Amino acid sequence: MLRKTLPLILLIALLSACAPQTTPTVAPVAPTVAATEAPVTAAPTEIPAKRYTDGLGREITLETTPQRIVSLAPSNTEILFAIGAGSQVVGRDEFSDYPAEAASIDSIGGSFGEYNAEAIVALEPDLVLAAEINTPELVKQLEDLGLTVFYLKNPVTLEEMYVNLDVVGQLTGHDVTDLIDSLEARVAAVDEKIAPISARPTVFYEIDATDASKPYSYGPGTFGDLLIQRAGGANLVTLAGITDAYPQVSLEQIVAANPSAIILGDSMWGVTPEAVLARAGWDALDAVKNNQIFPFDDNMVSRPGPRLVDGLEQLAKLLHPELFK
Amino acid sequence: MRPYLSSLLFLLIALLLSLAIGSVFISPQELWQTILGNGTEINHSILWKIRLPRTILIALTGAALGGSGAAYQGLFRNPLADPFLIGVASGAGLGAVIAMSIQWPYSFWGLMAIPLAAFIAALLTVFIVYLLARVGRTIPTTNLILAGVAFSSFATSLTSFLMIRSTSEVRRALGWLLGGASQSGWAAILAIMPYLIIGLGILAFCGHALNLLQFGDDQAQQLGLNVSRAKRIILTASSLATAAAVSFSGIIGFVGLIVPHLTRLWFGPDYRRLLPLSILGGATALLLSDILARVVIAPQEIPVGIITALVGAPFFLWVLKTAKNQGYW
Repeated sequence: MLRKTLPLILLIALLSACAPQTTPTVAPVAPTVAATEAPVTAAPTEIPAKRYTDGLGREITLETTPQRIVSLAPSNTEILFAIGAGSQVVGRDEFSDYPAEAASIDSIGGSFGEYNAEAIVALEPDLVLAAEINTPELVKQLEDLGLTVFYLKNPVTLEEMYVNLDVVGQLTGHDVTDLIDSLEARVAAVDEKIAPISARPTVFYEIDATDASKPYSYGPGTFGDLLIQRAGGANLVTLAGITDAYPQVSLEQIVAANPSAIILGDSMWGVTPEAVLARAGWDALDAVKNNQIFPFDDNMVSRPGPRLVDGLEQLAKLLHPELFK
Repeated sequence: MRPYLSSLLFLLIALLLSLAIGSVFISPQELWQTILGNGTEINHSILWKIRLPRTILIALTGAALGGSGAAYQGLFRNPLADPFLIGVASGAGLGAVIAMSIQWPYSFWGLMAIPLAAFIAALLTVFIVYLLARVGRTIPTTNLILAGVAFSSFATSLTSFLMIRSTSEVRRALGWLLGGASQSGWAAILAIMPYLIIGLGILAFCGHALNLLQFGDDQAQQLGLNVSRAKRIILTASSLATAAAVSFSGIIGFVGLIVPHLTRLWFGPDYRRLLPLSILGGATALLLSDILARVVIAPQEIPVGIITALVGAPFFLWVLKTAKNQGYW
């Protein structure tokens, strides 16, 4: 009987794989740094042995700056490359496809939730960077194999994402001040542009519409919801009073809320605006009548890394093109 | 004696293959050096800390599924019976998913919470089914199957509902339900060992009772078998072994169904032989499946539960089509 619900479950699994956890209570992510001085230069800086506390409350000691890092999540890989630690990465999970350089790094599996411990050990990593999509059991297994594992908790806000950048920066010996400053500046620029708007368009963000009568979307507590609001839109899901993080919204509810824009986060799976136009019952929506249906790279919303800011900018441009001329 | 010898030989080959083959290539020479203690540190780690515990856990799980499957098929006199027929899998799944919905601290007991919950829920499910199916002092087989199937469906639906509600843990739950070893290492093996030894040990000696049960409850009773007691013992032993096996390895389908049938096709329907041979065969079959799961798309790994049916089904159909003693059941 489980097999029957499998395709559906598999889809949600894939979707939630890279998405932030729903529980908004995030344990302190800031590391406790024993030594006081922070690295300043761009190249990986040699640091004295430092102790950190990771997202599982584990104490981690780094004797030297890690030069052989294995990333267990796409968001971690993106963070490592964004802070300039890409050359220190020797292994990545199967889903890590950004930036393009990541493709040439050895994969250690993970597409079925099964990570290849043998391959990880064979890479002789001095740091394994895990994320919330990895199970504590995996962390334990790698720990028992004598590896140093740091578990990075998912951020729920952009500010927590910056903290994560800082944490990984400290772990890998990179100064991330400039990166965070520029990200903050870009977010502030969007905020400023959006500030004067008088009306927020109702947005339906589609994650999966395999069943077009009840597609999946982002609800409260997800970056999908957060970025739509921040980009000057109103998330249909939140408007409808739905509290689930990844709800399946009935078409009736969508029609009743009548979104003026539809974002196709499932365009990466081949869903096109034309396909939406052809769906039975969807022609009643303003977004469909006015052809306000936009393909979108869902990875910029679902992966809790620096590309969330790219996602914010692109959403703002889609929802308020007149402000970004 | 020959069936036992060949079964043991196959098991030995599977065990060696499982140690030799993995996603990381270790040449036979390096492997030998590592066994002697002269290998590199990495090979040492891979062989003793990853491959050996995994091999043992998989072999034990396969043995439990094969043995319980044979016992259930005999007990229910039903060729479709597998170790999960009356709720071990659905109960374990429900227990695991409930445990996964809670954020456990990162500690020994926090990490043990999921297998423990799966184990307890599996046994609880079988016990409830048993109570529901009991009529007076007897346990009619049909009642047991019907109660088991109905209660399993109920538990499975509840599991699916919980999984859909708590989307963040779906991936983990899915991996578990498809038979991905969530946890390996020696702790897991030590934890399930007692239940497997007791469960399978009892089953190995239930062959005579199962032979008698093939005549039907009434006849078996007349032939001097305490039918209710025999059923209770077989149910308890199978459930203990299966629940322990799935608690760490997840739900691995099909092995418990086809291994007893293959054994029957090859070595005949005498349960005194069928049971021990199914235990050995289950271990071998799951080991071979697990090797495939590791190498098919290496460096990625597939949950072994996918392989068992994907490769097991065609293999079984081929044996079914070519076997000589067709009217075996």
